[in-house]
Formats: sequence, C-alpha cells, structure tokens
Amino acid sequence: MKETIIIGMSGGVDSAVSAALLVEKGYNVEAVFMKNWDEEDTEFCTAAEDYKDALQVCEKLDIPLRSIDLTEEYWEKVFKVFLEECESGRTPNPDVLCNKEIKFKAFLDAAKEMGAEKIATGHYAMIDYKDGLYRLKRGKDINKDQSYFLCRLDQYQISKSIFPIGKLNKDYVRKQADKLDFLNFDKKDSTGICFIGERNYKNFLKKFFDIKPGEIIKESGEIIGEHEGLMYYTYGQRQGLGIGGGFGRKEAPWYVSDKIIDENKLVVVQGQDHRSLYHKHVKASKVNWISGSPPDSNADITAKIRYRSLDTSCKINYDTQNVFIEFEIPKFAVAPGQSIVFYDQDICIGGGFIESRANKNIL
Amino acid sequence: MIYFDHSATTPIRPEVLEQMNIVNRDYFANPSSIYKTGRKSRSLIEKARFQIAAAIGAKSEQIYFSSGGTEANNQVLWTIANQKNKHVIISSVEHPAITKVLEKIKPYGVETSTIPVDDKGIVLTNELMNLIRPNTGLISIMLANNEIGSIQPIKEIIKKISNHNIPLHTDAVQALGKIEIDVNELGIDYLSLSAHKFYGPKGVGALFVNKDNNIKPFIIGGDQENGLRGGTENIAGIVGMGLAAELAIKDQNTCVAKLKKLEKHFLNNLKEHIPSAKHNKTNNLPGLISISFPGNKSNILMAKLDRASIAVSNGSACNTGNIKPSKVLKAIGLDDNINLSTLRISFGKDNTIDEVDFLIKTLIEIL
Repeated sequence: MKETIIIGMSGGVDSAVSAALLVEKGYNVEAVFMKNWDEEDTEFCTAAEDYKDALQVCEKLDIPLRSIDLTEEYWEKVFKVFLEECESGRTPNPDVLCNKEIKFKAFLDAAKEMGAEKIATGHYAMIDYKDGLYRLKRGKDINKDQSYFLCRLDQYQISKSIFPIGKLNKDYVRKQADKLDFLNFDKKDSTGICFIGERNYKNFLKKFFDIKPGEIIKESGEIIGEHEGLMYYTYGQRQGLGIGGGFGRKEAPWYVSDKIIDENKLVVVQGQDHRSLYHKHVKASKVNWISGSPPDSNADITAKIRYRSLDTSCKINYDTQNVFIEFEIPKFAVAPGQSIVFYDQDICIGGGFIESRANKNIL
Repeated sequence: MIYFDHSATTPIRPEVLEQMNIVNRDYFANPSSIYKTGRKSRSLIEKARFQIAAAIGAKSEQIYFSSGGTEANNQVLWTIANQKNKHVIISSVEHPAITKVLEKIKPYGVETSTIPVDDKGIVLTNELMNLIRPNTGLISIMLANNEIGSIQPIKEIIKKISNHNIPLHTDAVQALGKIEIDVNELGIDYLSLSAHKFYGPKGVGALFVNKDNNIKPFIIGGDQENGLRGGTENIAGIVGMGLAAELAIKDQNTCVAKLKKLEKHFLNNLKEHIPSAKHNKTNNLPGLISISFPGNKSNILMAKLDRASIAVSNGSACNTGNIKPSKVLKAIGLDDNINLSTLRISFGKDNTIDEVDFLIKTLIEIL
C-alpha cells in the first residue's frame, strides 16, 4: 500500500502546493487543519477563512480535510512560556516552540494515531539522510528559508517529516498554486507571531499584563523619558520610544540597548553605530543539537541570532549547561529570549535560547 | 459512507425528492398570483400546511412556514424583544438557536433565567416555579435534546404554570417522527419544526402558533403566511416538508422499532467489547446515543472514523476543529475531559445491523 502522509494544511499557499506535490508523487495524502488558538476577537479571526481556503485546495486535490484542536496544548506548551518570557523582559520566540511542541509533536502524534507514516508541512527547509543521521538543511529560497524556526527538532521529529517545497522558490510555489487553480495563490504571507497576526503587539499584551511604567535612561543614568513596561520593547528597537530623534530630526535616533529588569529601567543609546548595541559574546541555554551531539569544536560554524538576519562565523564552547558563542564580528541587537541557531554551511545543526551577551569573554 | 449522524440532518426520502422535482419543474407560479397556475401553487402549499398540522394535531391555520427551525425559534424570541414582559425562562440544554438569540436580544431588555437539568438531561421542573417573575413573557424548553436525546416533560411543565398566563414554546426539531407530538395534549403555544430532520429538504421549517398570541413577523416583506413571514414561498420545499411529515408519522412505529433495535444491538456490543465506554443515558429519544470514551479526544476519534468512512458527530465542534466542552454535556455533569471525549451517534431508519457491527468493529480497532 502507498505510504500515508498527513499534511498540516493551514489554508496558505505553501502547504497547499506541498500537498499537491505529494499527491503528484503518488502518496496517499490526507490533510489536517490545526486549530491552535482560540480566537474570540472576530476582527482578527481568520481561522474560518483559512479553513475555507484549505477546503478548496483539498477538494481540488480530492483529498480529505479533517480538523484537530490543539488549542490546549498550544496554550500550555507555547503560550504560557511566551507570557513568562514577556514578563521577564525577554524577547520570546513562540514560533520555535510551536514547531517543537505542537506541529512536530502534538500534530505528529495525532497524525500517527490517525494512521500516517509521516507528516508534511509547507516549511521552506530540506531534509536529507546521511551516515545514519537525518539532517535539516536551509530552504533553497534564501529569502524564505525557515530552518531557523525548526532548530529545536530532534532526529525522530525530522525522520517523520517531509518538506515538499523546501527546494522551491516562493515565486514558483505561487505560480504552481495559480496553475492548480488554488484560490489562495495570491494570499498574503502570514507575518509576525501567529496568534497576534496583524494586531498591535502592545495592545495584545495589555490584555494579559498590568502596565508597569518606568524610566527611560541614558547610559549615564540621566532620565530622558518614560516607558510603558519593559515587555513592550526589544533590544535594538528604534521606533515607538517617544523620545525624539525620530524621522525629520537632526539628532541621531535612540535605540534600546539594555533593560535593567530589577529597576524596571529601559536603557537607550543614540545612533545605530553605538557600541553598546553590539556584542561579540553570547551565552545560550537549552541548546538542541539536531544530530543528537554537539559539533566538533573546530568545526566551521555560523550562527543567526534572529530569523531575519544573516549568519556570522563564530566559535563555540560549552559546559554542561550552556553554549558560549564568540562571533567573529560583533552582532547588532542580541536579544535574550530569541533563538540562536547554528549552521554548518547549509546544514542547520541546532539552536538554543539567548541568555545573555557581552563584549568580553566573561560569560 | 456509513451515516450515523441523523440528528445533524437526514437524507431526503426518494418519494419526497420526486415530488419536489415535479413541483420545481411544473409549478413555478407565484402562490400569491390569482391566475390558474398561481392558484395551483397556492393549493400545493395549503395541502402541505394541512399535512404538517395533521402530523402534530394542529389546525392548518396554526402553521407558518419559514426557512427552518432556527428561523422559527428566532421569530418567537424576537417577539419577546418587542413586548412588555421581557423575561424568558429556558432550560440549560437548549440549542444555540435559542441561547444565542437570547444573548443577541439582551440589549432590548430581555432577561433570561435557566432551569437546570438532572444527570439525565431532564429539567428540574420543581425549580421552574422559583424562576417565574411577574414579567415572565415566555418559557422555551426543547421537546427533545439534540446532543443527548433527553425528552422534556412539557405536559408536566404546562400543568405547573397553568395559573400563570405565560406562553410556552418548544423546539421540537429533533422529535417529529420519533416521539408523538400532539399540540393539544401538550397544551403548547409555539412549536418549531425543521423538515430536514425528518427526511425532508433543508431550508424549510414551520412554526406552530396557537391562537391568541401576539407573535410578530421576523422576516418582514410581503403578506405571505398571513403577514407573519414575508418572502415568496419555497413551494417545493414546503411540499417536500408536508409529504415528509406525513410519511414520518405514517412510518413512525416501524421507524422507532428499527431505531430501538439498532440502538440495543449497538449498546449490547459496546458493553461487551468496549466496557470502558460510558453511555450518557437519558430517557432516550429513539436512535440518539451519546457515548464518552474516557482518555480519548472526540475530534481524533471522529477523524479516525471518517477515515473508515463512518460519519458521527461530537456535538459542539465547528468545522475549523475548535472543540470546546459542550454546554449540554456540562449541564448533565460531565467533567471537561469526559465531555471532550464524547461522540454522538444518531441512527436513522435506513441503517442496518451490519452497519452497526462495522461501527463496533471500527471502534474496537481505533480505541
């Protein structure tokens, strides 16, 4: 019998074309629509629209579409962590956890239970198998590569996954969708954190936290403004500080360089080149190595400190708890809480959470 | 596909479909037109009205056609929003076509009290008297519940409130063809029906209105349905509903016997092969069974049954997959985990013992 693949169908163009490719290859393809977020705010509720799009695609492909509810798992494993991270002033990375705990865990488990040999998703990443190990590789489309978000997966999770569009360009994927008469071919890419979507981040968080205003200070300690709560700002942030230096002003703009959590103070510096915005050393915790073991210490490694950035050469050292990274050149706006993801050429070898940063090797 | 979701909707009877096709093809004239073909359309509607009336012991002039049970319920409740006595009493197991409407008309000053149910889903009639206020304008309690099949003691309720002048409405969409409905014996003021629940077409329903009531139109337009429902009549749908009602009553005894047989066969096998399954027993609308499978999630079970081409339901899920604990199951005291492990199996007149055996076999496999 043909292998059964259950594809996570979001209603977007990527998973739609992924499903089409699997059908074309002759797999027994079934689709599942995941509901991860319980939306009461109807203005932003796109789940019903997404479901309709998914259904249209599945009808075209003549494959079943079923729904599963993972809202409880998402709340417990992803959203609670997100809130804790926000509260402690860090910059959370819920999409990384969503892949680790929901898409490639809860969904994978459910799909296996529903009879799937493997699952598929519309991620831009590739998988190969070499010397007894599964390897996660960057997606071919450099602008869309999503391996960053998959850095916490393990061998089992990758061995059970297929990324049918990993070797394609987004433009080509859209053209295919159009050719296949999928009505979602020109649907906008989803951006930002999935449960916040297009909403105002600050307003969203205000539903969960009291406002804790505090001082905005210069490195000298001089008070130059008031912030609305440290969680609303991230490292390297320029806009929304309300302290001038913005568009049309002569003086250089202000940037968030640090958060003094104990004192509820936001530290800002002037000018994008300010040295306090750059760090060469990073300490990362809870590092996941996709192969199951860390790379050779002399391996040629690069790392990314956020999704939309280029990776930079670095050296790594570890103790039992943490990984210490020394970048070749200082990195702008290293934000604790974000994932740091390691690569060996095109292979994503793992990732961890940024704990702290420094400019001297004192970590 | 093996279909065990007859409480969601039923397949249309072939003879009903045939009649509807004839009407759609040959009788297009507007029933409000006075020429010959218009009169023919009118007479078809009036015949159907008579058939519906006969099915529930009413008179023709007490039947008003509309788009379905939901509209019938809306019409009764929106009338409350426009009258003086705006307090409504309902049961804790009502359909959203009642509860959501009441939420919607809150801003008009409509207040709602809810009578709890016992663990079999039957309203605690003794509580009713405590809830009655001077401004209670309506009591609305469904005849048979759509999720667990409990049948409410409407007659007893009417007796209790007989010295108050409060109209009583019952949503009877699940009941016709399965339990006897006699509006005179029930002593009811309003009753909602929906054709597609008794092997008739979708998109048509009826409201029984006892006389001396101040029911107002909900869909405003022409003078159709005695001015209580605007819009050109859905002739084929109405004809289909009339015939389906007549046949449902004619076949009721055979149909119920069949449903009970299927039910018994299923429950016996379930007990033997899947002892962990919990039957949420009620006083039992024939053919509707609510079963909890502790330790399982209903949406996964449904997906697995769908893979085996078996259609059942889990009551309260919307198609995007968001499952929330059912309010009805909550009302009968199920905790959230059990609640979310519950499937509704509703047999129909054309199901067979073989199909039930296949369901049991599949359940054993997937659990």
